Amino acid sequence: MNQPTLPATTHERALPKPDQAARAALDPLAASASGGHLQPLEPPTLDVTVIVPVTSPDAEISEVVAGLGRELAREGRSHEFVLVFDGVRGKAWSDAQALGEKLGDRLRLISFENPFGESVCLSAGFELSRGRTILTSPQYVQIDPLELSSMLAAIDAGADFVTPWRRPRVDALLNRVQSACFNWVIRRIIRMEFHDLNCYFRAIRREVLSEVAIYGDMYRFLPVIAHRQGFRVVEVPVRHLKEWGTSGFFGLGVYVRRFLDVLGVMFLTKFTLKPLRFFGSIGAACSLLGAVMFGYCVWQKLTGDQEGLYGRPVFLISVMLLVLGVQVIGFGLVGEIIIYTQARHLREYRVERVYE
Amino acid sequence: MTQGSTLELSVVVPVFNEAQNLRPLHAEIAQALERLGRSSEVIYVDDRSTDGSLELLLELRREDPRVRVVRFRRNFGQTAALAAGFEQARGKVVVTLDGDLQNDPADIPALLAEIDRGCDVVAGWRRHRHDGLWLRRIPSWIANRLISLTTGTRIHDTGCTLKAFRKDMVERLVIYSEQHRFLPALAMGSGARVRELVVNHRPRLFGKSKYGLGRASRVLLDLLSILMIARFSHRPLQYFGLISLFFTVCAWVFLFMSTVNYHTWTLITKWWQFSVFIFGMLLLLVTYFILLGLLSELAVTASGMHRRRVQDRLMIRSH
Repeated sequence: MNQPTLPATTHERALPKPDQAARAALDPLAASASGGHLQPLEPPTLDVTVIVPVTSPDAEISEVVAGLGRELAREGRSHEFVLVFDGVRGKAWSDAQALGEKLGDRLRLISFENPFGESVCLSAGFELSRGRTILTSPQYVQIDPLELSSMLAAIDAGADFVTPWRRPRVDALLNRVQSACFNWVIRRIIRMEFHDLNCYFRAIRREVLSEVAIYGDMYRFLPVIAHRQGFRVVEVPVRHLKEWGTSGFFGLGVYVRRFLDVLGVMFLTKFTLKPLRFFGSIGAACSLLGAVMFGYCVWQKLTGDQEGLYGRPVFLISVMLLVLGVQVIGFGLVGEIIIYTQARHLREYRVERVYE
Repeated sequence: MTQGSTLELSVVVPVFNEAQNLRPLHAEIAQALERLGRSSEVIYVDDRSTDGSLELLLELRREDPRVRVVRFRRNFGQTAALAAGFEQARGKVVVTLDGDLQNDPADIPALLAEIDRGCDVVAGWRRHRHDGLWLRRIPSWIANRLISLTTGTRIHDTGCTLKAFRKDMVERLVIYSEQHRFLPALAMGSGARVRELVVNHRPRLFGKSKYGLGRASRVLLDLLSILMIARFSHRPLQYFGLISLFFTVCAWVFLFMSTVNYHTWTLITKWWQFSVFIFGMLLLLVTYFILLGLLSELAVTASGMHRRRVQDRLMIRSH
């Protein structure tokens, strides 16, 4: 029985494969070319790896592992668990160690000294994973483990990413309303039919995670990003058992952060390689509005208005808008320089297959 | 990802819902290739068609061993399809061709002859276009004039897909976004020899056009970025410096004109608030663009792209 208690750090990264290393030696830019192509340390030898980010000492580790383990065993799939402790220990840690005694090689523990967030947890778990399918689970039994079979069936049927849709939901009404609003906004912006992005009980094919880079709060939008890269994302309705976390209003900061996340995802999925299109459109709109207002003021002045231009707020605002518009276009130009110099090798397309 | 260019010629055809056109197109391409008698391959890039184009392509592949088919995971657009074809191509020369039969494959030998004469890029020029006047030809004419004026490439028809490239020379150019129309300009920016050749253009028989007028503003913005990249990517500070200079001149000229009565050479104080305000705003833009220029220099330096060998960045001929 191995000792799965060795704390890993986030600095452990997959070693570059030989051909990557060769390319990097030839071309310093190749490092960015391989960006987002992160391979786990070991080749896939199992069917399923369950990654559980643990952020609370009260996490129901034993229940999650027992429930999912039972279902996976019944489905006849070889599996392992990777528990990532995000800067917490406490009861969950001792539970996990007890489980490690029992499960041996099939349970691995990673722990961070400081909390780094779910994206880092997911990446760290992925680097250690050996499964062909990655299942991410919340730290408590949020979704009925019985739903596993339908999610894995969707993967078998050709989906690359299975995202759950909790229906019906069992948490407080206010939460449901907020969540519905959030998902509605996302659907509007991204023009895709997702109903429930806030549930992290997901089944993901290994290839998806090695191509989709996750950082910051991007784990939330993983289905969106995967879809943009051409992976088949399938939504499966699941039975919602319970909900942790606060109910009621989350506080202003949370809403602001969520809004910024949405903005970031929208920008990155649509305009990564063409920043000037984004900034240029905004800048041109500002300038145009400013020019119209400016023209209006000047026209009024010429047709006999006695008041000085400077005294008119409309005039001041129009000049400000013109200046702002030009500045925003300037941002777009810098964006183009950055993309041209740093990310020329980012590919916009994904090839499914080459028929030789 | 070239496995050592072993073939003479690769023909790249982006395909999106062209099921009816594919058979006649391939017959024409095959005929042109027969006449050339060089080792060649035809790469069809299926941009996730929904009308059974892929099945047809696979059929063609069974009949003709020269055919290779690349399939996208989802619809990524024509530029992406061209880029993917370029990446897959093994030939020393790559010819790109529209999948809608509007380009005539019989022009391929003429393009190749130009390449043999030492050109790096040969762009097709559809002198007699068979497209709608208002929606296609006039916007395209304006766009082409703008492109040639600003980038200094004397190319009449940048939107024509029928082009030939010398692979080893152009492979270092990376196209992204919708920049395929600017490829000649980009190539010229890195020192390639670009020539233009009048090609045949035929009206569309089957299927419908995938272009509308909506791209005008996008083309303009892309043009701005291409202009910067083709001319100033090595010295962005100068580019932004030029913009700054423009605003500096504007600011002083404006201040002078609005405060000096040049009949009597006396100061006019009537509009001084207004003048100083506008002057200040213009100076603000001056500072701002200088700072952006410095930021861009930082990006260029940090990228390390100038540490790469010159041969890998620019097109140099060793004699």
